Amino acid sequence: MMFSPFDSNEAAQHRRDYVEDRLSEGSPVVGISFDAGLLLLTVRKAQRKVFEIYDRLIFSGIGNQSDIEAIRVGAIDVAHKEGYERSPDDVTAQRIVSFSLSPPLKRLFGDQFNALPAVVRAIFGELGETPAEDSFYVLNYDGEFALYNGFAVIAGTSEAEDRMGLWMVGVTPEITREQALERALQAWAVGAMTGKRRKIGKDEDEPDPLRDIDEAEQIAGFLREELKTAQLEVGLLERFSTRESKFRLLSSADLESLLKSYR
Amino acid sequence: MGLDLQSLLNPGGQPLFTPPAFPAPGASVSGAPLTDTHGTTVIAVKYDGGVINVGDRRATANFAVMYDRAEKVMPLDDYTLLSISGSYARAMEVIRYLRTVFKYFERSQLQPMSLDGKLSELAKVIAAGVPAAMQGIGGFIPIFSTFDMRTGQPRIFFYDGLGARFESTEFGAAGSGSLQIRGIFDYIVKTKGPFHRMSREDALREALILLDIAADLDAATGGWSKHLPLAKTISAEGITDVSEQELREVVNSIDRMAG
Repeated sequence: MMFSPFDSNEAAQHRRDYVEDRLSEGSPVVGISFDAGLLLLTVRKAQRKVFEIYDRLIFSGIGNQSDIEAIRVGAIDVAHKEGYERSPDDVTAQRIVSFSLSPPLKRLFGDQFNALPAVVRAIFGELGETPAEDSFYVLNYDGEFALYNGFAVIAGTSEAEDRMGLWMVGVTPEITREQALERALQAWAVGAMTGKRRKIGKDEDEPDPLRDIDEAEQIAGFLREELKTAQLEVGLLERFSTRESKFRLLSSADLESLLKSYR
Repeated sequence: MGLDLQSLLNPGGQPLFTPPAFPAPGASVSGAPLTDTHGTTVIAVKYDGGVINVGDRRATANFAVMYDRAEKVMPLDDYTLLSISGSYARAMEVIRYLRTVFKYFERSQLQPMSLDGKLSELAKVIAAGVPAAMQGIGGFIPIFSTFDMRTGQPRIFFYDGLGARFESTEFGAAGSGSLQIRGIFDYIVKTKGPFHRMSREDALREALILLDIAADLDAATGGWSKHLPLAKTISAEGITDVSEQELREVVNSIDRMAG
């Protein structure tokens, strides 16, 4: 038997490839903050994907279902324990992501003797008093995380995320809920189309019959096709709600005006 | 044994919440010279389509009035109110606990806790405080009002000091002033008909008259000369505060009747 010198860079890269490969087909999630609240939007085929974590915290993730679930329940546990023992005011996305979730993810990813790292990319939205105080955290399978204001996206590939980010540029907190929904749904389509293209193996330089068509046209066509078999899901944190719970999933009636242009 | 995410996130695998014992485990309350602050009278009555909770604003410790803006009608979730009498410290702790576990259950399990589950949870926390209550501190009696989404009906439950639960068809009252007014509820039902057939306005008026009489007959129950009572309703739309303006109008008209 031959032993090659252990190369930790290579080992990490193998694990990274393994995870990225499994994430690549995940349906993107778009987070956007607007005057009356903050929302996470995605399109799903099967299970529910957008969840309430705490009074002002909302969550979604792509990846392995059980890893998403472990992150979700872990975040809920930490939030409720802290909220009960101290105060709901002390429960923040910053504390949960950077102190509670990131270190175990990093440990799991870095542990070379462990069979499999977690396959998950998560987005947390935190509702503030004003849109300027809203924030989004994107947390990766290796424990890396990043803070965003205004909007944030997660997708299966960084290329899809970049394109979605470009589509969202210029979003301001003054937009209404309807405008935010429209923008987020289009950004989702941009990300999902990028993922699909990658899967088929099309390159940018290859001739693409769709390329001459107007981009907006292309997005609308893609959405019309996708929404025939998949379901739009939007979780909302309402800034000015007087109910005990600020979170709700938008009903099909709420989404009707958005969806009718894609039938 | 490899690492896994779940055990890294919750190393002990312990249940997160257990009913808070009172006093804290290990503390002794024997011969305690301390008196705890008490909330006094709270009333729940049904009306056509919902349930009203009213409470006076006084909190007392023995013969001292500790506070005249106490809130004794507290929401536990979007459709449940807990009206409390007895030890204020313990009641507030219990409310904090119940709000947390109801929300925790719904968020982690992705379905709301059942009505029966909520009622048992309340019984458990009352039972956890019994040893202290027997020595004179921390005892409290709640009324649990809710709108049962399954049947589309308002429901009222009251408890004894050990955690036994009873459902009331029409009304519930707790606190030092509740004994003096007990018979009046039955008088109202027999002369004006059941509360659950009354309009919201009529039921609110009756509840406030009852509270006024409790304040007259019980030294620990506050009247409304300084601060208005608190009133909240629960209906299919959820919990609503009765506005200060509406309360003032009803209270003034009751005062005028008394001359």
